[in-house]
Amino acid sequence: MPRIERSATTTWEGNVARGTGSITGETGAFADLPFSLPTRLGAVAGKTSPEELLAAAHGGCFAMSLASELTSAGSPPERLDVQVQIVMDEVPGKGHLVVLSKVDVAARVPGLDGPRFDAAVAAADAGCSFSALIRATASVDVEARLAS
Amino acid sequence: MATERRADVTWTGDLMSGSGTIDTVGSGAFGPLDVSWPARSEEASGGNTSPEELIAAAHASCFSMALAHGLAQAGTVPEKLHTSAVVTFVPGTGITKIALAVRATVPGLDEPMFREAAEAAKAGCPVSQALASVPEITLDAQLG
Repeated sequence: MPRIERSATTTWEGNVARGTGSITGETGAFADLPFSLPTRLGAVAGKTSPEELLAAAHGGCFAMSLASELTSAGSPPERLDVQVQIVMDEVPGKGHLVVLSKVDVAARVPGLDGPRFDAAVAAADAGCSFSALIRATASVDVEARLAS
Repeated sequence: MATERRADVTWTGDLMSGSGTIDTVGSGAFGPLDVSWPARSEEASGGNTSPEELIAAAHASCFSMALAHGLAQAGTVPEKLHTSAVVTFVPGTGITKIALAVRATVPGLDEPMFREAAEAAKAGCPVSQALASVPEITLDAQLG
């Protein structure tokens, strides 16, 4: 299989408490996004954070994995709504760690019954490379339902 | 206290010909961003992001903050850190490698001390720890 590379760059100035940084993706899809420690841990004030970027990555990965599984099962989705929450917590003796990624899926899939949907969701979670990475050190909780 | 960060994604259609959107994130800092399988699995083009690009952004930013913290604690506040992260993705296998590279301006610090601080940031930052099962994470750290 081909190796695909994706990169992003950041700049940071100053110490961690009062300094600020900015993030740019190589595709140009996002550029010069500001980030800082206070907005990473507290009120977001319109600024993204490493954990929010992980949430977006997991949502994109899971949606594609589920679309693939549903299509393999003969019922491509009309629409998938995937919401991901990344939870970071301060763990005694270990500092801040990502402890949970919570994935919530509402799916509109014509002609698919509950059991086959559940099987596709389980396969999508197993096949999403990001779910596997997070699960190595934290929890991944998946809640999925068929929407009418 | 736990910190929660959220993103909402919509997908329509099958994997190969369908498409998705990272509609919103909790902070409102970016979005909507389009995603698709061709844009994820082929040469980067068309300005579409991908999960791997977002992971690169998460890791580069997390590493930078951890390094700024370590340097400041050692009494050498950085003037500037420029960090890149390159994520290698093999469809069917997953993420096989993340290459971090940092160029830094830090008054009063020598190269060995800087490299030591950079290695500590690579080991300790929350995203590094979350992605610890990636087979290979490399670091190229230089002053100047």
